[in-house]
Amino acid sequence: MINTWAWCGWLLAGLVALSLTRNPTYLVIIFLSITLVSTVLVRRAGARRGFFSPLYFLGFICLTASLFNALTSHFGNTILFAIPGQIPLLSGAVTLEAMTYGALNGLVLSGLFVIFMVFNQALPARALVRLIPRAFSPLAVVISIAVTFIPATRRELELIREAQAVRGHRVRGVRDALPLFMPLLVGGLERAFQLAEAMTARGFGGEGEAAAHAFRGRFAMLAGLLLILAGWLLKLVTGSSPLWAGILITAGAALILAVFVLISSRSVSTTYQTESWSVRDGIVLAGAALVLVVFLVPSISPWHFMQNYNPYPQITLPSFNPWAGCAILGLLLPAFLVVSVSK
Amino acid sequence: MEMRNRWLSIAIYTVSIGLGVLTFVYPFILPGAVGAQSMSTAHASETPLLYVLLLTLCLGVLLYEVQGEAVKTRQVALLGVLVAIDSVLRFVDIAIPGPGGFSPIFFLIILTGVVFGGRFGFLMGALTLFVSALITGGVGPWLPGQMFTAGWTGMCAALCRPVIEGLHLSGKKTEIWLLMGVGAFWGLAFGAIMNLWAWPFMVGPVDQYWAPGVGLQDTLRRYGVYYLATSLAWDLSRSVGNVLLIGIFGAPTLKALRRFERRLVFWYETPGQDEKQPELLGEKI
Repeated sequence: MINTWAWCGWLLAGLVALSLTRNPTYLVIIFLSITLVSTVLVRRAGARRGFFSPLYFLGFICLTASLFNALTSHFGNTILFAIPGQIPLLSGAVTLEAMTYGALNGLVLSGLFVIFMVFNQALPARALVRLIPRAFSPLAVVISIAVTFIPATRRELELIREAQAVRGHRVRGVRDALPLFMPLLVGGLERAFQLAEAMTARGFGGEGEAAAHAFRGRFAMLAGLLLILAGWLLKLVTGSSPLWAGILITAGAALILAVFVLISSRSVSTTYQTESWSVRDGIVLAGAALVLVVFLVPSISPWHFMQNYNPYPQITLPSFNPWAGCAILGLLLPAFLVVSVSK
Repeated sequence: MEMRNRWLSIAIYTVSIGLGVLTFVYPFILPGAVGAQSMSTAHASETPLLYVLLLTLCLGVLLYEVQGEAVKTRQVALLGVLVAIDSVLRFVDIAIPGPGGFSPIFFLIILTGVVFGGRFGFLMGALTLFVSALITGGVGPWLPGQMFTAGWTGMCAALCRPVIEGLHLSGKKTEIWLLMGVGAFWGLAFGAIMNLWAWPFMVGPVDQYWAPGVGLQDTLRRYGVYYLATSLAWDLSRSVGNVLLIGIFGAPTLKALRRFERRLVFWYETPGQDEKQPELLGEKI
C-alpha cells in the first residue's frame, strides 16, 4: 500500500494541474494518467470494472458539454452549420470553437471527478479518518463511531426488515417505512447511551478535552479569519488579484493552519498502527512535486505560457512542450508502484 | 472569563459563517468595472482553488468552535450514532435512488437541530455529509460546500425552537406543519446554494450564466433564469421529499428524540437551596 500522505500529495498535484490548465494536450495526458492509475488499482484489488468507467464517463460528459455549448453559445469563426428560425437560445451559428470549448470543460470536469474516484479507491475509510487533524479529536471520535456503526446499523435495518416481514409487513410506499425506521432510530439511540457509559468509564470527556479548547488559540483563529475576510474583500472590491489581497489571505490561512498544527501537537493520542514510509512513497511524492513545480512556479517553469489555451475566436492547434508532458507523467507513477491488496 | 469566551465564540461564529456566505455569493458582488477578459482568465485559473480552500478553512474553524461545546461523552456518542443512521439512509438512497434530488437525510438533520439545538444540528448536517461521502466514495471538491450547507440546514432548524416553545406547539400538528415548511425551504435552498459553487465556472447561454461586470441585478436575474431552467424541478423533488418525510416520520421521530433529550439532562440540588438546577449536557443556541 502506498502511504496515505503520498496519495494526498498525488491528489493535490492532480487537482492543481486540472485547475490551472486548459491546454487539451496536457489535459489529455493528465486524464489518461489518472485513468491508468484507476485501472491498475481495480485490477490489483481483484475487482471487476463496474458500470462506471472513467473513459465512458469522459465520453458522455465531453459529448454532453460539447453539444450543449455548441447549441447555446454561438461565438467563434468556424461555422459548422446554422440553426434557422427564432428558437430561443438555439437559433444561430453552431461553431467548432464552441464545441471545442465545451469539450475542454467536460475534460476538466471528468478529470476532477475521476481523480477523486481514484483517491476513494486507493484509500480505505479508516485511512481517511486518520487524516483528520488531532485538533479535531472529539469530531474524529464522532466520525469513528459513525463509520464503525454504519455496518451495524445496516445489519440492524436488515434484521428489523426481516422481523417485520415475518409479521406480514410489506414496504409499498414511504409510509410503510415507518415501522422500519422507528425501531432503527430508537435502537440506535439506546446503543448511543450504552456507548457513552463505556466511554465515560474509560475516561473520555475529562478536563483534558476542555482545556485543549483554549482561548488564545481561538482568538488567533478569529484573527486569521479576519485577515482572510479583509483580503477577500479587497480582491472583490478591486476585481483583480492585488498583491495585498494575496498577502492578507495567505497570512490568514497560515495563521489558522499554524494554530491547528499547534493544537494538534499538544493533543495526546494513542497510535495503535503507524503507517510506514517507504522509497515507493517518496517516488510518488516526488512525481507529484514535479507536477506542482511545472504548474505552480511560473518564474522557473519555462512551459507556463503553454498551459493556457483558448479556442475563441478562431480555433488553433494547442502548443505542446514534450518536457512538460513528460513532467506531467509524474501522476502516472502510482500505477507502477501500487502493491497488490490481495498479496 | 465566561463572558469573554462567549463574545469570542459569537465573533467566530459570525465571521466564519459570514466568510462562508461571502465565498458562496461572491459572483453577485463582484464589481462592475472589471475587464471581462482579464477577470475571466483569473477566474478560470485561481478562483476555484481559492474557493475550496477558503470554504475548507471556514468550515474547519467553525467545526473547531462547535466541537468545543460538544465534547461531553453522551453528545459525542449520540451524534456518532445519529450520523451513522443518517449515512445509512443516504446509502439506501444511492442504492435505490429516489426521484430527482430527493434525499432522505435532511429530515433527520432538521429534526435533530430542532430538538438538540443549533450546534448539534450543524454538526449533524456537516458530519452526515462527510461520513456518507467516505462510505459512498463521494469525497470531492464539492464536499466542503455540501458540509457547510447541510450544517446550515441543521443550524437554521434550531431557529424554530423559540417559536415552538413560545407558542407551546410542541407535540401539536402545527409544529409538524412548521417543520414541513422548513424542510420545503431547505430542499430548494440546498440546491440553490450548492449550484453557486459551480455556476460561475460554467459556460452557456449569455442570459443564464455568470459573467464578470454585469452588476448585481443582472447577475441575480441570470441566476434566477439558470435556476429555473436547470435546477428547480430537481430541487422540488427534494423539497417535496422533505415535506413528505417530515409529515410521515416527524411526530414519532420528534417524540423519540425528545425522550432521549430528557435523558441527557439531570437535576441536582445544592444543599441549602430549594431550587433545583438543571444541568444540560451541552449548551443550546
